Amino acid sequence: MNKLIVAFLLTIYSTIVFAQPTGFKEVKNVAAFQQELTKANTSILDIVCDFTQIKNMSLLAEKIKSKGKFYYKKEDKVRIEYTQPFTYLLIMNNGQVMVKDEQKTSKINTKNSKAMQSVNRIMIDCMRGTVLQNADFKVSVFDNSSQYMLSMVPVTDAMRKMFQQINVYLLKKNFNVDKLSMVELGGDFTDMNFVNAQHNTGLNESLFKVK
Amino acid sequence: MNHFLRLSSLLILLAACGSPYKQLVALPGKNRSVLAYKPQYDKELYRCTVNGRIIFKKFHLSGVLFFKKVETGTVHAVFQNEMGYTFFDFEWNKDDSFKVNQVIPQLDKPALIKTLKKDFSLLLMKGLDSNKEYFYSSGRGKTLYSCFTLDNGVAYYVSGNNKLQRIENAGKHKKVLTISIAGKKTDNAMPDTILFNHHKANFTIALHKLERHVDE
Repeated sequence: MNKLIVAFLLTIYSTIVFAQPTGFKEVKNVAAFQQELTKANTSILDIVCDFTQIKNMSLLAEKIKSKGKFYYKKEDKVRIEYTQPFTYLLIMNNGQVMVKDEQKTSKINTKNSKAMQSVNRIMIDCMRGTVLQNADFKVSVFDNSSQYMLSMVPVTDAMRKMFQQINVYLLKKNFNVDKLSMVELGGDFTDMNFVNAQHNTGLNESLFKVK
Repeated sequence: MNHFLRLSSLLILLAACGSPYKQLVALPGKNRSVLAYKPQYDKELYRCTVNGRIIFKKFHLSGVLFFKKVETGTVHAVFQNEMGYTFFDFEWNKDDSFKVNQVIPQLDKPALIKTLKKDFSLLLMKGLDSNKEYFYSSGRGKTLYSCFTLDNGVAYYVSGNNKLQRIENAGKHKKVLTISIAGKKTDNAMPDTILFNHHKANFTIALHKLERHVDE
């Protein structure tokens, strides 16, 4: 019986250890954090930054790296422009998505796809600071000395089939998105690191045109 | 063994009759095995685009395809979209046995997996035995066809001027697949560009080799 209790306690302990990311502790006052985040994002009308994307394939001990430019404009416009080692453009604007590769431009209306809506919303929530309101995920907030980490665990079937977890890292000093980490079901994960962020540069609407 | 060889020859001849291969001339005896062109690699990254048509509806898909050989000799073919999301991860172990490690539900169709398995197996020259290889020629002997009987049809590796030029797969009457290759820097290098053209299934897969490391 004692062995069963020990095993049970160990299971709970390991769950707690797993839930709390290394080097981070849980933020108790989430309401206060949300308030600060909202305050910081209120004045941000647009963002432009560089990004580096690293796909980590755990089974193969391999990384695939790409990079490009990221644009966001309030309320729901995102442009992700991959420049190396391939060219690829993704624009999200008011529920419409456009993708353009070397050969073709395709338009997708996310209103017809719950999964596409959810994927679309993740990126926009990250930028406008509304991650905690995303009903597709259970969100927990952690911090360390320099970052907040928003751990998003999917609760809807559509997202559960795609991701094990998504982690959003914000810089404490200015609430800028520092990193977005998308963990797939098999454990492989893709990190998008954002650098050289500039705010309110008056981004032209044409950057987000879905045509 | 002799019985098997005779049967294989007969099957290839039957496949050749009434097919685009009926003009080929059988070459007796031993020739240079096409396995001399078998690709050797640790890892290769390709830009991948898929174009096709199902009835009247066109489809288009893009991403990156990654080939990697791990220490055990197992080879992986991993396809992911531009944002890093994995669509499939196939592997061939050192004995060329095939396994699906991961596939998204939308692509988890037996016919599709069988087709992709055959495509990549032909390209990577998996499951080929030089003892079961037969030779034909065309163009007054300028083009060599190295043939292998598959579970369904025949694989033709077409070479000329000491270079592997393309790979074809035919059923009893028709060619079903052509794999065009270009930019093979050495006999054993993976080509810079590869085009899988499925004549019957009406879709293409185009691969263009990528520089693996972006500028820091």
